[in-house]
Amino acid sequence: MAELGIDRLPGRQGVWVALCGNARVWGGGGVVGLFALIALFAPVLAPQDPLWQDLMLYQMPPAWLPGSEPGYWLGTDSLGRDLLSRLIHGTQVALIVAVVAAGAAGALGVLLGLMAGYFGGWVDALISRLIDVWVAFPPVLLSIVLVAVLGAGLHSVIIAIAVIDWTRFARVVRAEVLVQKEQDYVASAVTIGLGRWRILFGEVLPNVAPLVLVLFTMEMAIAVIVETILSFVGLSVASDRPTWGGMIAEGRQVIYEAPWMMLMPIGCLIALVLALNALGDGLKTALDPVLRR
Amino acid sequence: MPIGFLVNRLVLAIPTLFGVSVVVFVLLRVVPGDPIAMMIPPGAGQEDIDRLRVLYGLDRSIPEQYGIWLGQALTGDFGTSISLRSDVLGLVLQRLPATLELAALALLIAGALATGLAVLGTASRGRWPEAVVDGVTGTVQAIPDFVWGLLFILALGVLMPVLPISGRFDPRIEIDFATGFYLIESLARFDLDTAAMLLRHAILPAVALALPLTAVLARLLKSSLSEAMTQDYVQVAKVRGFGPGRLIVREAMRNALIPTVALSSVQVTFLIGGTVLVERIFSYPGIGNMAIGAVINRDLPLIQGLVLTFAVLFIAINLVADLTYAALNPRVRRG
Amino acid sequence: MMLSTSRRRLLRAGALGGLALPFAGLASTVSAQGSTLTIAYNVDLPAFDPTVGASAVNPTIQSLYKSVFDQYIDQNPDLSFKPGLLTGWGWNEDRTEIFLEVREGALWHTGEPVTPDDVVWSLERAGDPDTGNPIQFVWSKVGNYRIDGNRITADVLAFEPTLFKWMAFLTGYVLPRRYFEEVGPDGFEAAPVGSGPYRVDAFERNAFLRLKAVPDYWGGAPAYETVIFKFVTDAVSRVAEIESGASDVTLEIPYDAFDRLKDRPGLAGVTTPVSDIAMIFLNDNDEIMQDRNVRLAAHHAINKQAIVDRLLRGYGVPIDTLQAPEYAAFDPTIRVPYDPDRAAALLAESGYGRDNPARFTIQTTRGFKPRDFEMIQAIVGMWRAVGIEAEIEVYEIAQHFELRARDALAPAAFYNWGNSIGDPSTSTGFAMFGPSPHSTWDTDDLDAMIGPLWGEPDEAARIAGYRAVDRYIAEQGYVIPLLQYVQPIVHRDDVVVTPHTANFLLPQLMRPA
Repeated sequence: MAELGIDRLPGRQGVWVALCGNARVWGGGGVVGLFALIALFAPVLAPQDPLWQDLMLYQMPPAWLPGSEPGYWLGTDSLGRDLLSRLIHGTQVALIVAVVAAGAAGALGVLLGLMAGYFGGWVDALISRLIDVWVAFPPVLLSIVLVAVLGAGLHSVIIAIAVIDWTRFARVVRAEVLVQKEQDYVASAVTIGLGRWRILFGEVLPNVAPLVLVLFTMEMAIAVIVETILSFVGLSVASDRPTWGGMIAEGRQVIYEAPWMMLMPIGCLIALVLALNALGDGLKTALDPVLRR
Repeated sequence: MPIGFLVNRLVLAIPTLFGVSVVVFVLLRVVPGDPIAMMIPPGAGQEDIDRLRVLYGLDRSIPEQYGIWLGQALTGDFGTSISLRSDVLGLVLQRLPATLELAALALLIAGALATGLAVLGTASRGRWPEAVVDGVTGTVQAIPDFVWGLLFILALGVLMPVLPISGRFDPRIEIDFATGFYLIESLARFDLDTAAMLLRHAILPAVALALPLTAVLARLLKSSLSEAMTQDYVQVAKVRGFGPGRLIVREAMRNALIPTVALSSVQVTFLIGGTVLVERIFSYPGIGNMAIGAVINRDLPLIQGLVLTFAVLFIAINLVADLTYAALNPRVRRG
Repeated sequence: MMLSTSRRRLLRAGALGGLALPFAGLASTVSAQGSTLTIAYNVDLPAFDPTVGASAVNPTIQSLYKSVFDQYIDQNPDLSFKPGLLTGWGWNEDRTEIFLEVREGALWHTGEPVTPDDVVWSLERAGDPDTGNPIQFVWSKVGNYRIDGNRITADVLAFEPTLFKWMAFLTGYVLPRRYFEEVGPDGFEAAPVGSGPYRVDAFERNAFLRLKAVPDYWGGAPAYETVIFKFVTDAVSRVAEIESGASDVTLEIPYDAFDRLKDRPGLAGVTTPVSDIAMIFLNDNDEIMQDRNVRLAAHHAINKQAIVDRLLRGYGVPIDTLQAPEYAAFDPTIRVPYDPDRAAALLAESGYGRDNPARFTIQTTRGFKPRDFEMIQAIVGMWRAVGIEAEIEVYEIAQHFELRARDALAPAAFYNWGNSIGDPSTSTGFAMFGPSPHSTWDTDDLDAMIGPLWGEPDEAARIAGYRAVDRYIAEQGYVIPLLQYVQPIVHRDDVVVTPHTANFLLPQLMRPA
């Protein structure tokens, strides 16, 4: 859950050129893309219905261990459901949460950050105080409380992440806008009489967009982790719909008898989070003119 | 330390705490349902339910309830836990030392490991150990603390059971501690057997908490060290023929610490926040574990007290970081 | 590929563990001494006073209370009643008075004798609505106590057929009057005093409770000098506790782990069916549950035996009424058999089928009881096969109580109902009687049947009445009883553990082999 120490980022020019030369962007982006494809084509890729159960196939081991059941490559859980299919469908949930929650947190945070940075005065004071209050909350506990209050479910998880993590965007965007505000292009936009909101969204926002993209990538990783935490505590998607966190929690119950049941979803989680972090790091480096030089 | 700086920071903390208390209070009061329902006995009638509601002040409006709560909180009365039937402040103070000790141990571990990794990485610039350090820190940083906890339990509690995976100490050893800081107290008494036993219990959750922070600190420190190494005074020392180890540790470190401290306070608050889940996983009797129990039991006064406690801790950490930064960097004090 | 990454990570974790290895030798220095018994217990103790608040009616912590305090009347492991602090009790001829005979020679942990005055004070306090006794509605049905030597008589204010059973049940504990009045409720929480076989030595919340034997206990000195209840709420950690030798006895562990551990050298296991059943509440507020065909189909579609055999590894007893075999009103002739064809036919009668399934929500706890969430997922799978599409919603147990009190449970809601006195009024009675705040099903037909039984003075008629109610409920499908739980207990083989059907794990029932 890294905090970003981003100072300056370039404008739109040359972004793609920079991206192409960055190995982490390609590596991380490749793995993220792979997960995205898995999520997108989950119904096609999964060898079984992830909800289909057969109590006679109780906790079958994966194919490379003795006693495995043909057709169940990664074994089965305690209801005899196919673990591979559940992992694949779990990817779908993880990515939906990652994109939607990070998007919502980003939208809220960017809006408030833009306003605070550009309008200044009491707007800035108010939003800055709000950020101070927000960062004084323990994030994990707050997310658990929020979801307990809202009731378990995917929408609650998304709301909780957005409500808690908007400050990550708001703080960085605010600082960046303070710098952008002094740039010539803003001054000339004011001179030709453009409205404040028009300047904010038409001129300033595109210039902080690369920064937001980096933050968004990082936030996706955090959202995946938070969803896992909440599923693990038993508060996320409350149905028999498969999630990685739910599978980790289930696997933990049989950690002595079937350790692979916990390790496989943990492996997926780590792979996706590592990839997202690498992508975010790579983007940051690629878009940062100082480091690029 | 200039008093003005300190006072300024303390005054700024008050509205923040106030804001935190309002947000958590309102949040918990909009819970659909009724927090006293779980206390309702079999056979109770509506009047019993109403009596309980009055007893816990739940018959009033939210602003009224908040006013009453705030008035009492200012006198040190944070209400009575519904599930534990004890006063909230007492409960929190009882369990807080356990969390503080765990967090302090985790910080020590993170600081030591991070320094080691950063020095190693800087000393071997451009050679393979640096690449290893970068790879390790990048990977470790991405894996959240509770996942480390689960992996440790699997590896060292289940597959190769060498360490205890639950609790803070072994109650078969009958010791009466004077304070809640068992580890510090047993070290102060030179009771090394007890200290070792406490460490055996704390080491896995502490390392799980420490690892993500270690990675962040190591990366920050390494980049600051690399920068400091290019500075004039280090170059001068180099010309004088000091070895690379001495250069890094004696000359560059002090300056490299300044930005690291400034940037790491947020990370330290993440570590404290991480205790919620890690304590739960290791059945460690601190405030984090208590907090999840309070949420499960819908124990509003206790949840409120615990969230505020975390907020106070977070604000205190930021304050300490600011003060340390100011102490290390005289320019800030003047400005 | 995923596993190999994980393996590498494990190796790294192993290397880290090596740092801690120098400490590992210490474990032997604290190996269990002969007179110390460590129990890895599955729930925390929230508060000591066993007569007030939510913890007083929490069945899972009664073992702790029963170690420190004495009940008026006690129970044998087979649920039959035996003298506690009372050696005699009963009604007069016309049931307008009760008498109680107080044991002589019982002592408080302060050394003072237990007197009839303590008993009367405890009963009056329990009946006083202001002290917060959750069972006050029972205790207040007797009053006007008179003491004559060690015999107490009192007037019956309202007849309660189960009064003496309650004296062995929740909140039926005797507390020391003089001490309690001296230290007050907070002082009592800080330093509780009872008359039970063990006294409190040390208590650390969320961590442990250490007890010391009372050598001159009226029931004989307990076998272990020191007993430690270590609160380990996580089942995996309890398994680790017993495997590593850190604890001598534990309970409520996953059945797979039980099967593995009981055959380990140095360990042994006992299982016993306990007074705790798994059930699904149905709610008549929802239109779909007003359809008898749907209710009965939902019941017939569940293969309880398969759930017991596969998911619970054989540890469980399928039931068709809210009475377990050990309970007073158990009737083995009431059956609702597994019959998926019948279920499908019933659904078809109401126009439902696999193409047009009956839809409703089912709520369940997760991890509160062994395999609860998996059990409900299995049931939903069985329902799916006959034409019922149920959406699972997870709730915490506190939410269940809250929703039940508001009568706002989902059409179907999974719960487990404990009843250690085995009386039908405390199972079918409270669970199914509409005006009870704990029922979800309230229809007039059923209330008319249960209502008169509350005050029925003829015990045989009362039990027969409840059997008739259970039969009617089974025919109408007003509730879905699933199974009776079996408690798995693992212990060192040098400890003899006597399991208790009331689901108590009592140190006074353990001794060295």
